[in-house]
Amino acid sequence: MRLEMGHIYIKDIQFAAESKIEDGILYVSEEAVKAVALEDEKIKSVSFDIAKPGESVRITPVKDVIEPRVKVEGRGGIFPGVIAKVDTVGEGKTYALKGMAVVTAGRIVGFQEGIIDMTGPGADYTPFSKTLNLVMVCEPVDGIKQHDYEKAVRFAGFRVAVYLGELARNLTPDETKVYETCTIKEGMEKYPNLPRVAYVQMLQSQGLLHDTYVYGVDAKKIVPTILSPTEIMDGAIVSGNCVSACDKNPTYVHLNNPVVHDMFDQHGKTINFVCQIITNENVYLADKQRSSDWTAKLCKMLDLDGVIVSQEGFGNPDTDLIMNCKKIEAEGVKTVIITDEYAGRDGKSQSLADSDPAADAVVTGGNANQVIILPKLDKVIGTLDYVTKIAGASEETLREDGSLEVELQVLTGATNETGFNKLSAR
Amino acid sequence: MVKEVERAGIPVVHVCTVTPISMTVGANRIVPAIAIPHPLGNPALDRDEEKALRRKIVEKALTALETEVEGQTIFD
Repeated sequence: MRLEMGHIYIKDIQFAAESKIEDGILYVSEEAVKAVALEDEKIKSVSFDIAKPGESVRITPVKDVIEPRVKVEGRGGIFPGVIAKVDTVGEGKTYALKGMAVVTAGRIVGFQEGIIDMTGPGADYTPFSKTLNLVMVCEPVDGIKQHDYEKAVRFAGFRVAVYLGELARNLTPDETKVYETCTIKEGMEKYPNLPRVAYVQMLQSQGLLHDTYVYGVDAKKIVPTILSPTEIMDGAIVSGNCVSACDKNPTYVHLNNPVVHDMFDQHGKTINFVCQIITNENVYLADKQRSSDWTAKLCKMLDLDGVIVSQEGFGNPDTDLIMNCKKIEAEGVKTVIITDEYAGRDGKSQSLADSDPAADAVVTGGNANQVIILPKLDKVIGTLDYVTKIAGASEETLREDGSLEVELQVLTGATNETGFNKLSAR
Repeated sequence: MVKEVERAGIPVVHVCTVTPISMTVGANRIVPAIAIPHPLGNPALDRDEEKALRRKIVEKALTALETEVEGQTIFD
């Protein structure tokens, strides 16, 4: 599969009478994006705001972060099975609006959502302090159930992102990158001397608003399968995951997964990037066993030499991670695992809930329990009502001077397990 | 907790969903539970079915407690 990614750099976002992109400036008609968000009758009202890097702004509770894209050539559309009709994506030409994001916020689960600070120490820890953010706060109709609210906000975010992406359809990209994968046989013939390496991505699928969707399918209902790595760039995988902020993969991360992009950089040079294998993190032991069995089986059938495995979330998915690692290694395939740590505020506790000697090559996204003080900021987009209840906060979080004492866990993307952030351990 | 109680000379049955973690931490008698969000029950069942399920888990745990084991054992 061959996908051409056109990057259109957005230097500023402004509200205007008409939506358009001109000279790198995204003009947004508030009326138009409101109408797009309100297409769903479950959303009572929506407000839009713009947050720029360096501004004294705190966004919370953050649900998802999405990069607007548009499919210009080739099969299917962005977010297949979700917004676009089901069709296999990942080939042709796609444009992305770089440097900006749509951020959805609202009081869906409250305690399970995150914080994005646009300035100060918190901004250093969240990758989304560096993007120009169009933030949408959605209020649901009365009496709605949480999971229906989550779904309504999830879809509203995608609709707005697709609406903005469409504005770029007839533009000329500032930069173009080409990503090309081989079929199994082609790869063997073309790169006979390079190690065959795949990416095993574990998708959060614990249920109760810890969910991920693949072509619209709830990931807890999939068995491990193979993707061409370019498929994710068209939105084949989207987030419906509300927890935990620091190590969940927002849709933005799925679209820009750094493991996939870095493996493409090395494809044909140091490795033959064979494919992406996706698996899940379910709450039944039988599911964990089945999925890790199948993942290891696929690695064997593909004659891989090595895999990189990334986790999403923490706690019981640590077991899925270790089961995958152990079983894949047992098939003679080398593994490197990417995780993060919950090693206590002093960093002295056991980092993962499970471990095994086979996991001898581990990359960490950092210690999510690390304490940080977030100073009071001038403006809040969303609400601070839940700030003492977000995972990683406590009753003592809100201090007298208005600053917050929290663990890194509360910051969206702080310890991301695909390497999307810059944090590492000493 | 399982290990500390056993260290005090009292045998323990660990009822848990993710038995591999229980193996890693060193429990000796392990009884598998239902699922992580609802280890000791199943909200998908009706009242009577669920009560029977719960009783079965408790009875299995009590049986495990009475059973001599040679090393770590999962009572499936």
